[in-house]
Amino acid sequence: MDRFELLQLFQRTASEIAEKEIRNVAETTSIGELGIDSLGMLEVIGSLERELKIQIPDESLAGILTVKDLLNAVLSRQTV
Amino acid sequence: MSDPKHVAPTLPAAIRQLAALAESTRRASHARREGLQSAPAKPVRETGHGSEVTDVAGLTGLNEVAERGFVFVRPDGTERSCSFAELAYQAERRAANLHACGLKKGDRLAIVVPDPDEFVLSFLGAVMGGIVPVPIFPQLSFKNVDSYHETVTHIANASGSKMLLTTEATRPYVQPVLARVESMTRIATVDELNLQDNGIVDVVIEPEDTAFLQFTSGSTSKPKGVVVTHRNLAWNSESFMIHGLEKDSSFDKGVSWLPLFHDMGLIGFVIGPLFTNIPVVFLPTASFVRNPRIWLDKIHQHRGTITYAPNFAYSLVTKRVKEKDVADLDLSCLRRAGCGAEPIQWKTLHEFADRLKTAKFDPRAFLPSYGMAESTLAISFVPAFSGVRADVVEKSGLEVGQAVPALEGLRLVNCGRTFPEHEIAVVDENGNRLADRKVGQVLARGPSIASGYYQEPELTAEAFKAGPDGHTWLYTGDLGYLVDGDIFICGRLKDMIIVRGRNFYPSDIEWVVSDLPGIRRGNVVAFSADVAGEEQLVITAEGLSGEAEALKAAVAVRVVAEFALAVHEVVIVPQGTLPRTSSGKPQRRKTRQMYLEGTLVRARSVQGPEDPVEEPVLSA
Repeated sequence: MDRFELLQLFQRTASEIAEKEIRNVAETTSIGELGIDSLGMLEVIGSLERELKIQIPDESLAGILTVKDLLNAVLSRQTV
Repeated sequence: MSDPKHVAPTLPAAIRQLAALAESTRRASHARREGLQSAPAKPVRETGHGSEVTDVAGLTGLNEVAERGFVFVRPDGTERSCSFAELAYQAERRAANLHACGLKKGDRLAIVVPDPDEFVLSFLGAVMGGIVPVPIFPQLSFKNVDSYHETVTHIANASGSKMLLTTEATRPYVQPVLARVESMTRIATVDELNLQDNGIVDVVIEPEDTAFLQFTSGSTSKPKGVVVTHRNLAWNSESFMIHGLEKDSSFDKGVSWLPLFHDMGLIGFVIGPLFTNIPVVFLPTASFVRNPRIWLDKIHQHRGTITYAPNFAYSLVTKRVKEKDVADLDLSCLRRAGCGAEPIQWKTLHEFADRLKTAKFDPRAFLPSYGMAESTLAISFVPAFSGVRADVVEKSGLEVGQAVPALEGLRLVNCGRTFPEHEIAVVDENGNRLADRKVGQVLARGPSIASGYYQEPELTAEAFKAGPDGHTWLYTGDLGYLVDGDIFICGRLKDMIIVRGRNFYPSDIEWVVSDLPGIRRGNVVAFSADVAGEEQLVITAEGLSGEAEALKAAVAVRVVAEFALAVHEVVIVPQGTLPRTSSGKPQRRKTRQMYLEGTLVRARSVQGPEDPVEEPVLSA
């Protein structure tokens, strides 16, 4: 999965979990701007982990501040 | 004040009792095995797994007793078992290592350790050595680290912590705190201390000694440290484990994903079980939030009998777990499903029970309860196996402080009664006891009530003061009413909206507004504001779609229809702009403050985030 597809998947997943439409997400968007609280973000990450069959260690979650950080964290775990 | 009857007087004494029990059982098992096998083919292992031996003499049972303890499930799903004997040994060692760092009995030690196993052993190590641990939550919130540093600095300063204990991985997030806390001389990691061997130390711990400082965050104030003594812990553990949960050490087993730096996880599943000899399986909180099903899986797999969670967690399971996912689970083992720490919704628990019917979940296991850090943990429990019982009362009656039973109306969950040697009361503004079904502030007293906040004499005097019959009571700040000794909680005193002498609970109004189309469910805040010398109702809501003006009108019409209450102003704000607590709920008092300051973002029409964003942009 490339960056662009992943960004789309993230947007879709985040919208599902937040039960609202999240649009216009850019890599520079900060997580705080999405209007999803930290529990919601953990849910989003859990859903991405299941979908992509990866595991992001807890330590790397603390450093995630923007959508870009999140994409990097996911892509660095992906072997395919 | 006397010591409790059924548990040890201090936590170290309780841990040593468990270790002694494990040791004597191990010896008995060993001796019996020697007798059975006159010439064993291979040497009997010290810890003795008896599976290869025919269990003619109940060896397996004995081994289970010797091996029982805590199981920590790691994020990758692997498990670390730590028997009570091992746990006692580790705690004793760690106590000596902390003393070797120059810490003495009574010194405070800040602990920021995200891994549950290392956290528990470090916490107990400090307690064994008479050092006062101060648990602090780790950074894990997708937020800027600055506000995290501020919180840790505040807690470390307020507690006068001498040292901060952390892990290698977490160290970078707490290192900047060292320079900002005068009392702190060192940040150490669990790994570097574990390398040492300083034997054991002999520290005498008395029941009235401080066991730890439990920092709680008020929504208005900075976190303050509740001083919890060993006597508080012993009494509350006896209260909720024996009188509340009616635990049975022969088969009970806890399963918990609750964070260990909060009272419910730490006292409910580490300290209470240690006082009463109950094994527990711990899961990382983040694992549960990422995949709520894991909670149910572990109860099934480990045959858990006791679990506990706030209302939102039951709702999360219902939202994320499908009926087909649980068809192969058998949760009939679960006999206590506690609920507390936030308002309990009758509907949430019923939906959970419905979803898990095929997994043989018994709704009688639900155990609504009430408590807070200032009372160590628990204040009241419903009788075991009585399930969720609700009181249906007239909405109009509650407005004037009366809970009048009705066929239709508000459904309030019964939170049960308090424990032996404890008392609960409901009082008016003058501190006089109120009759049954009259709403007032809830007060509690007894041996579980803490002595106050650490080095905060003013805050302590406000919350712990004289009340009925000349006793000192904890003023909980919650509003509620009693019926034959059972307590029902209506809301927080400070949030109560009083308009022309009628009382409204914000949650009731928020619930109704949340249901309107175009409003983002759960993202509504109701409060009162002073308008020309009179309290008036203001409602702020995050809009999902539509024109703000139309939404405002719809909200006002609905509130008038439901409560016969005029709305002074409805403010529609864009999605995600209401201030939130760390658990994701909108912050009422902060919202009110922003409204008064004029800093709320007002939306004209709402169609998702309105900010122009940089490339690359995706449109859904």
